[in-house]
Amino acid sequence: MATVTATIGLSSGSGDLTSDALDISLTKEISITDMATTGLARAKVQATAVHATATVLYTADDYAAGPYLYIKNTAAAATEYLWVYDDTTSGDPVILKLAGGDWAFMPLKGDKTLKAYAPSGNNPFIEWMVFGTDQ
Amino acid sequence: MATTTAALSLTSSDLVGDALSVATTNTLYKAGTTEGLNQTTGMTRSYLTATTQIDLFLPVRTAAADAGKTCWIYICNKSTIETEYATIKLANNTLGRLYAGNFIWMPWNRSARFVDISLTPSVATGMEYEYCMFHEQVEQLASSDSRTFTDE
Repeated sequence: MATVTATIGLSSGSGDLTSDALDISLTKEISITDMATTGLARAKVQATAVHATATVLYTADDYAAGPYLYIKNTAAAATEYLWVYDDTTSGDPVILKLAGGDWAFMPLKGDKTLKAYAPSGNNPFIEWMVFGTDQ
Repeated sequence: MATTTAALSLTSSDLVGDALSVATTNTLYKAGTTEGLNQTTGMTRSYLTATTQIDLFLPVRTAAADAGKTCWIYICNKSTIETEYATIKLANNTLGRLYAGNFIWMPWNRSARFVDISLTPSVATGMEYEYCMFHEQVEQLASSDSRTFTDE
């Protein structure tokens, strides 16, 4: 069994977002038997729309139910969006729209293939990591 | 400008051969700008006693005033019983299961394509959740309630 410690912090100064300071912090130790990981991957996103050449972030059922996904758009410009979509479900529903610098962390069901594209055509880099039980 | 930051660290001493340490942070901006988000729902804490699917963040109308505006959502399952989980859905597509103590943090582009975000507890014995949204605009619908109440 391996353990990944995930800590999130959400903060804003007094008089900034709200009158009082905001400080939310949470740590979770995620322990999974036979945990495997993709490692922290980094790739240039070349597809500009839903397409076979879109960057594959996760392949359906690669991990048993309940993997976790960390993903980040490394672009510096806020207008440099990355779209992450579900390539398994009909209609390719988009689940994330990440502006430059944005990141997300979430548990997955694990049964859907996830891909990314960048409409701008500027080929921003994306970083991501999946961890869970390999199967 | 309001400055709100979100930070994440992922560490492990036994997942890979060398120690794993990933850390990131970013400032929350309005869509396509470097102007800070300036609105929030505040943190909500709910105790749910049914396995009914509920909306945490409401559906977005097509062509609504807040369509395309930036939102960030945080959801945490505060249960301490490891087997208890909440199923999180985006529209009717399951994103994943949020087990006890786990959290989700993600941007949510409010448009008809992204619809709503819902939660379904795995048990009816009572589970606590916390959730919050940081946003630049959420459409406030005009009240259609015309009832009046007389003094007792």
